[in-house]
Amino acid sequence: MESMNKLGRILLVEDDARDVELTLTALEEYNLANEVVVARDGEEALEYLYSRGKFKTRSSGNPAVLLLDLKLPKVDGLEVLKQVKSEETLRMIPIVVLTSSKEEKDMVASYKLGVSAYVVKPVDFHEFVNAIKELGIFWAVINEPPPGSVRK
Amino acid sequence: MARSKLQLRIAQFAVLRYGLAVLSVSVALGGALLIERLQLRNITLFLFAIAVAAWYGGTGAAVLALLLSCISFAYFFVEPSHSIPYFILFALFAWLVNRFSSVRRRAEADALQAREKLEIEVSERSSLLNLTHDTIFVRDMSDSIRYWNRGAEELYGWMPEQAIGKNSHDLLRTVFSSPLDDIQEEFLRTGRWEGELKHTKADGTQVIVASRWSLRRNEREEPIAVLETNNDITVRKRREQEIQSLNQELAKRSTELEATNKELHSFAYSVSHDLRAPLRHMAGYTELLQKKASSTLDEKCSHYIQMTLDSAKRMGNLIDDLLAFSRIGRAETQKTLFSLTQLVREALTEVRDDTEGRNIAWKIGALPDFYGDRSMLRLVLVNLISNAIKFTRTRPQAEIEIGCADGNSNDLVVFVRDNGVGFDMKYVNKLFGVFQRLHDSDAFEGTGIGLATVQRIIHRHGGKVWAAAVVNSGSTFYFSAPKT
Repeated sequence: MESMNKLGRILLVEDDARDVELTLTALEEYNLANEVVVARDGEEALEYLYSRGKFKTRSSGNPAVLLLDLKLPKVDGLEVLKQVKSEETLRMIPIVVLTSSKEEKDMVASYKLGVSAYVVKPVDFHEFVNAIKELGIFWAVINEPPPGSVRK
Repeated sequence: MARSKLQLRIAQFAVLRYGLAVLSVSVALGGALLIERLQLRNITLFLFAIAVAAWYGGTGAAVLALLLSCISFAYFFVEPSHSIPYFILFALFAWLVNRFSSVRRRAEADALQAREKLEIEVSERSSLLNLTHDTIFVRDMSDSIRYWNRGAEELYGWMPEQAIGKNSHDLLRTVFSSPLDDIQEEFLRTGRWEGELKHTKADGTQVIVASRWSLRRNEREEPIAVLETNNDITVRKRREQEIQSLNQELAKRSTELEATNKELHSFAYSVSHDLRAPLRHMAGYTELLQKKASSTLDEKCSHYIQMTLDSAKRMGNLIDDLLAFSRIGRAETQKTLFSLTQLVREALTEVRDDTEGRNIAWKIGALPDFYGDRSMLRLVLVNLISNAIKFTRTRPQAEIEIGCADGNSNDLVVFVRDNGVGFDMKYVNKLFGVFQRLHDSDAFEGTGIGLATVQRIIHRHGGKVWAAAVVNSGSTFYFSAPKT
């Protein structure tokens, strides 16, 4: 039960500032916001994962979960997915697609690339907060992350 | 043609070939002797006389001319004792010319016989050929028209007496689809040819004909005539061209439609993704505001905030319904045979939340098996049943009946009947339109897409939807679908 006390690091890949703010607000309510790293596009997400660019000096270790939007500038979500899943050191990171799109083809493509979950952001704020909270708690607290993940 | 035939004949007979050789040598030798010893003019004239007699008179005349020539030659020009070689020369010459002559006669007789035979044949059959509506004419091997039936007269506009004897290709100004030499080669080899030709009629208009040629041969297998049958396919060709151009137009339209569909698809995608985000933000921030400022806000302000949230939620539902609706149009139907009774049961489970605290008398009739897309049909039933639940809300005792009505032998008809508020039948045509609502949303919430979805699904199954209602005493919704 030791891991229940530890909080996994969450990498949130989201280009929309409002979505970032609302997500962080939702996570804050449950004290999950401190360990969230925000990447604003696919490229930044990859820089974090590979510890390069502006994340060159970050502490080592993979995030406990990657919350990934699909529609992103520069490198889109599905491309990030492909790269992460084809990299030996990254492929074990649980990835949750968190998107506005209910499109079946996005969902099929995501699952084919091996995502752990696919969540459509609810319009209703309550539902949104609940979804984020449950995701945060499950992936950052309950779930036992693969070896090599950062925990506080 | 006759001359070349004769030469052919000569070549065929060995006697003639050798005779010709002997003759030419004799002529050369005799010539040399004659020039030296005789008055050339005299013997030439005799030879000419014998030749004329043999060529035109036949064997008897040749013999007579020979005898007369010998006698007169012996009498007038040389002593009888010296005349033997001349007699032999005359005799040989006479025989030779006679031979040539008979060969020529035979060839001419053959050709005449063939023509007579053809003409007899044609005239025997012409009455029969005249009965057919097909255009038929016969031409000989030099393309000269020998027979012209009534069909040809009707199609081309020339009477038989105007056409017979003319070169058919010149008369009809035939345009061939491939080089004539190729056609002739194939025709003489196989004895038949089929193809399309362009002809010009007597009045100058052009016709396209499907032409069939067949070759007639005599007993010696020599080609003697061509039977040409032509069918006017001008109208058919024009229709074919029209169909072709219509098909091209159709292909163009379908490409355009495909492009439009694609655009619509990407539009739906963009609605799904981009329109939901700001809506979510509006709802999110408003709710945060409500939470933070609830203590300082008066009742009116709280109401405003609540209205903003409700509207955002409604719009979210609208977008979701609209997307679901557009997905039905794009998705492939996967048809199976399933139990409608079972599906109704599932649909009732799905709408259970809506029936809480309600007093509803359900009446489910016997339902047949249904051939269609199960998940789509489930959506139809859920929509119709939840409508029935919704619009009977004002009734202390709601009655909802689901059953199978008598359809015709091909279709089955399912209905959902309620004793709810009903609607005015004069608006019935608006019922199944997207975003069409017959009740205000304060009384009965909804996005106005449910029945449009029902209609779209049933149409995709090749069925129909319709409704009947009386204001304030209920409505019945029907849908039909082919049994198989």
